Amino acid sequence: MTAPTTQERVSHRVPLWRDVVVLKWVTQVVLLAVVLSAMWFLATQAGDNLRARNIVSTFDFLERPIDIQLSEGIDTKPDTGARALWTGMVNTLRMSIAGILFATLLGIVVGLARLSDNWLISRLASTWIETLRNIPLLVQIAFYFSVLTTLPRVGLGTGPINGWFHISNKGISMPRVFIADGFYQWLTVVGVGAVAAHYVRRHRQRIQDETGAMTSPILWGMGTVALFGVIGIFVHPVFSWLGVPLGAIADLLDSLPVIAPQILFSVIALGAAARWITRFLSAHRSARGHLSISDDDWFRIAFATLAALAVVVMLVRWTGFSSWTLNSGRDLFEVLENKFDVDGAARPFDAMRPDIIQKGKFPNYGKSGLTMSIGFAAVFFGVVFYTSAFIGENVRGGILAVPKGQSEAAMAVGLGRGQILRHVVLPQAVRIILPPTGNQYLNLLKNTSLAVAVGYSEIVQVGQTTFNQTGMTLPVVVIWMLFYLSCSLSISVVVNWFNVRMKLVER
Amino acid sequence: MTDAATEPTAEPMSEPAAGQTRDLSNARDMIVCEDVSKWYGDFQALDGISTTIKEQEVVVVLGPSGSGKSTWIRCINRLEVHQEGRIVVDDVELTNDLRNIEQIRSEVGMVFQQFNLFPHLKVIDNVSLAPIWVRKKPRVEAEEQAMALLERVGIPEQAHKYPGQLSGGQQQRVAIARALAMEPRIMLFDEVTSALDPEMVKEVLDIMKTLALSGMTMMVVTHEMGFAKEVADRIIFMEEGQIVEQGTPQHFFENPTEDRTKLFLSQIL
Repeated sequence: MTAPTTQERVSHRVPLWRDVVVLKWVTQVVLLAVVLSAMWFLATQAGDNLRARNIVSTFDFLERPIDIQLSEGIDTKPDTGARALWTGMVNTLRMSIAGILFATLLGIVVGLARLSDNWLISRLASTWIETLRNIPLLVQIAFYFSVLTTLPRVGLGTGPINGWFHISNKGISMPRVFIADGFYQWLTVVGVGAVAAHYVRRHRQRIQDETGAMTSPILWGMGTVALFGVIGIFVHPVFSWLGVPLGAIADLLDSLPVIAPQILFSVIALGAAARWITRFLSAHRSARGHLSISDDDWFRIAFATLAALAVVVMLVRWTGFSSWTLNSGRDLFEVLENKFDVDGAARPFDAMRPDIIQKGKFPNYGKSGLTMSIGFAAVFFGVVFYTSAFIGENVRGGILAVPKGQSEAAMAVGLGRGQILRHVVLPQAVRIILPPTGNQYLNLLKNTSLAVAVGYSEIVQVGQTTFNQTGMTLPVVVIWMLFYLSCSLSISVVVNWFNVRMKLVER
Repeated sequence: MTDAATEPTAEPMSEPAAGQTRDLSNARDMIVCEDVSKWYGDFQALDGISTTIKEQEVVVVLGPSGSGKSTWIRCINRLEVHQEGRIVVDDVELTNDLRNIEQIRSEVGMVFQQFNLFPHLKVIDNVSLAPIWVRKKPRVEAEEQAMALLERVGIPEQAHKYPGQLSGGQQQRVAIARALAMEPRIMLFDEVTSALDPEMVKEVLDIMKTLALSGMTMMVVTHEMGFAKEVADRIIFMEEGQIVEQGTPQHFFENPTEDRTKLFLSQIL
């Protein structure tokens, strides 16, 4: 008996059930098949059961008339289900965007305050955080709402500055600035200003780099945009000729056959896949041109190819999407053409003061002012205060997590306190603060659904009313889920993009 | 410091070979410590430190861990605050006056054990940050200077990498360049080779030797006895927050007078 040589061991054929490469591929394919068939089974089963119980689940209600009254939003008396849900979505987004903005600002203040050397300030910040994050948000919203309902009625409401502001138990109404006919021409002027600002900023930066003088390039850039904005109010009609090329584009889109977008989108899908694959391959190629690709990598490449092909097949089979993009593209450019085709006297903005109208028995705010209902206010204060407590803790933790040696090294080269914070501590703290704060943004978005408790017409409240009237529970819930999912994923994409951009470069 | 020329005219400031003792008695005082004490709670970290460091002098501070070497050196640019006594650096006394502190910090360079490079900035930006923001130098000029310094510490090709991409020795050399960018009159080194792999210690010590030869006033806390022997003008031995013994390397290594010094030397040599 002699031990097998290396040569013998290598040439020995591995049986399939022991070959890791084969096993890996089989698992991937089997898993994919199981997932797809499970989904198929559940979908058909649900469809059969619903049919058996005579429950019809369709999305038809979206286009049917609906009798619904919303508390506030772009359309308080929507005529179709789709319009009602859209109003709810806009209200949710309005609340979320405002909430994220103010919770961030307040959170930064609270976090920095908690780190303050000043005993009173840091105690106050701790109390703020500990109180707010330990009371359920729903209770807080109910509290703000009940406090706000103690405000006087509209008729007796306070209008401090000669009718410019009204505060009552129907909410706060203030002057509304809205875009008027000349807005798009004015926007074009501002766009030109943004391009100019880019060059101004670069020029000021170059002067600063060459002479060392503090030239505040960013401030100059913003000033340039502001200057164009002001000038634009007077000169915006110079861009009215833009309506002609926009109209030409609309006509062109109108004359194109459906095959054009089909070809375009197919080329984009295939091109994107090809680009991704070539980049992927070159990223896995060593400096000497050696390609090292694992089995998982092959699976990714196969998946990218399949996804691109699936898009092409869908485009060919389902021409509706292509003709829809053509039509809506044409509509968009027609609208833009009309927006530019206005007489020179049109103003970019208009403003209106709040008004009070008699609606049946009770007075209420009319449409001319910008009104924040107490429902909105209660939810807004709720999510902003609640989230600011968590963001404040993130900010504090992030700043404390920057090693002490960093500020010592910065002190040792003579940087002042503010400079250390700006150039050394904050850039590193942001990397630590951002990921958990992104989670707080997701929480805030989802928490806005608690507005259903105080009757603020966001997507959940509108959806509930809609399915109470139409009986289409499942479709509405599906719309809710898709809406929240796409909002959350958008936030995640933005936060991840920042994370990747700011990642420290290691070897 | 007896064997050098006694005549002040005999070029005491010229560059002598490393390790050769120089007469610095006529040089001006760069760092004066008078009876400096510091406590951490009940623990006394510094106990009546008094000494004077002359211009161009290279002082190596030795001592067992916990003897207060690092605390002392960190008091000199006020990363730590002394509680009793006086510290005068380049004729400016360290007090609570912010202006004095900032002036001294911009004249005293410091290199740390853990490098403490700014990980989010490229090497060249690490070096040029302080000249731009503290000295208000034009960026172009500050970057030229930074490149010259990186050339001097032997790693100009790493200028556009991030600290995380460099080896320990390279990072410590960048840290030296960063301190030199402020054109300091004094350099403090706080155990700068302790965190380095053995094969990287030499490249950092070599740069410190060159710096000593160029006439920089230096205060070095280290465990590198070879460096102390070769480069130091004076060795200060500390224990329990006090200066136990000081003198030329020759005196210190060959004829120490104090028992504690002898014990220390017997443990490390």
